[in-house]
Amino acid sequence: MVLLMLSKEEVLKIAQLARLELSPEEVVFFQNRLGRVLDYMKELNGVKLEAAATVRHVPEDAEPFREDVVEEAFDREAIMRNAPALDEGGFSLPAILESE
Amino acid sequence: MTDLNNKYEAVIGLEVHAQLLTKSKMFCSCANQFGAAINANICPVCTGQPGALPAVNRQAIELGVRAAMALNCQIRNESIFARKNYFYPDLPKGYQISQYEKPFCEKGSLTVRLKSGEQKQFGITRIHFEEDAGKNVHASHGTVVNLNRAGVPLIEIVSEPDMRTSHEAGQYLRALHSILQFGDICDGNMEQGNFRCDANISVRKRGDSKFGTKVELKNINSFRFVEKAIEYEIERQIDLVEKGEPIRQQTRTWNSSKNITELMREKESAHDYRYFPDPDLAPLVISEAWIKSIRSQMPEMPSQVLARFQKDYALSEYDAGVLTATKELASFYEQTAAQSKNPKASANWVANELLGRLNAAGKEIANSPVKAQQLGDLVTRIDQGEISGKIAKTVFEEMFLTGRNPAEIIKEKGLVQISDTGAIEVAIDKVIAANPSQVADYKAGKVKLLGFFVGQVMKETQGQANPGMVNELVKKKLD
Repeated sequence: MVLLMLSKEEVLKIAQLARLELSPEEVVFFQNRLGRVLDYMKELNGVKLEAAATVRHVPEDAEPFREDVVEEAFDREAIMRNAPALDEGGFSLPAILESE
Repeated sequence: MTDLNNKYEAVIGLEVHAQLLTKSKMFCSCANQFGAAINANICPVCTGQPGALPAVNRQAIELGVRAAMALNCQIRNESIFARKNYFYPDLPKGYQISQYEKPFCEKGSLTVRLKSGEQKQFGITRIHFEEDAGKNVHASHGTVVNLNRAGVPLIEIVSEPDMRTSHEAGQYLRALHSILQFGDICDGNMEQGNFRCDANISVRKRGDSKFGTKVELKNINSFRFVEKAIEYEIERQIDLVEKGEPIRQQTRTWNSSKNITELMREKESAHDYRYFPDPDLAPLVISEAWIKSIRSQMPEMPSQVLARFQKDYALSEYDAGVLTATKELASFYEQTAAQSKNPKASANWVANELLGRLNAAGKEIANSPVKAQQLGDLVTRIDQGEISGKIAKTVFEEMFLTGRNPAEIIKEKGLVQISDTGAIEVAIDKVIAANPSQVADYKAGKVKLLGFFVGQVMKETQGQANPGMVNELVKKKLD
């Protein structure tokens, strides 16, 4: 199998989109690792699927809808406890600066 | 700019986000409610807790399908929810559930009336479902996130780039707003951000088929501001082209105190949202049977109400148009007419007196101090001869200022019309005695003086005499 390699720039772009900081060693590691994922996708693309019907991940007759009713779903305090900091009931963050 | 406006044309496309009028959110049972205490309406689903699963709100789908029908769209029986991935503090999951490749409907149209009287049809590219994000409140010491709005159901309505002027864009928005309101799809409250508009604008030389570089205008919260912002933007762009400067792809916003558009951000690179089908959600199946049932419960659309007002109440197209500008106004008028049993007079009172007065006071029909039943009652009192039309205006003014019932005001101020023959005759005798020369002239053939005598009698009775009766009795006395 020919091993695909991602360029350093491609790995850094993906890391930026995922807001991950990678060390130079990790960049090399992911050039290889993500290449292997793409290789596997290539292999999957070779599978002949024309004859098979669309496979759903839920049964056809599953009722996927919820009625429009308001319910107390959860203890709100439990969710608020996950916040690193609160400010009068809001999740408190450092000021947001726009950046790409 | 006229010459330049002949040389160039603008290409405008609009994207409208409309919050759906559901009780609960799109994918969880939290209340869809504006103005609740901060983070009062949150749960594991809308705050993106690991393992929480979304469940589609049936009513949200029905409201979206209503919009699709009202906008003549082709509905897909099976569409897909997709994840739009980006990072922002108001988006707890790190993705927004939206629809991408296969929206639930496409290829619609909206026909609007322009001020020239001409009707013009604009294409609707697509409508898709998505969830709203939360709100970041920026404070001096940092940012506070309120997730009450996170997960509120939205439809995004994307138009074709079919509009050429700010007026066309404004009329498209007004018509769309009205359809969503009449359909009980969205309440249309623009101050609360329940109906939001973004506009894409570019200019090109007339006759060119290629589009120019587009600028996106965001976060404009009134129709008038959208029109002004587009006008400004068209001139700004033509000016740049004339100077030979490039138009940069930017996102701009309207500054309503300076009357200019301002730069929000430059588009450095295309956003990379990495859309993919949401594996937590089954394909959205909208069957023909469901579509049929939604169609059968479709509320009356503005164009239908307009036609009905003309037909049932014998209103002019103009009056019917004024009274169907918003759903609240149409319903206010219908209640007034039902109360008064005089649709024509009710139309005049609502369209002229009430709207004029509201306008002057900077109020909306929803907060009118005069209620429909009260106004209907006033019209009835004129029709029954209790007060004259002129006195009614005084009563109306008092109603508007105090919110009190007409009966109370008429009684308290002693404004009841004098329809008592005896009392009117007393006043007439007085006027005749005081004006002997006019009486002589009248008898000599100057019948035009009748108006003078009627006027004097009305003055004598402080405008409270029944004018019809005065007319008749004066003639009888003098002839």
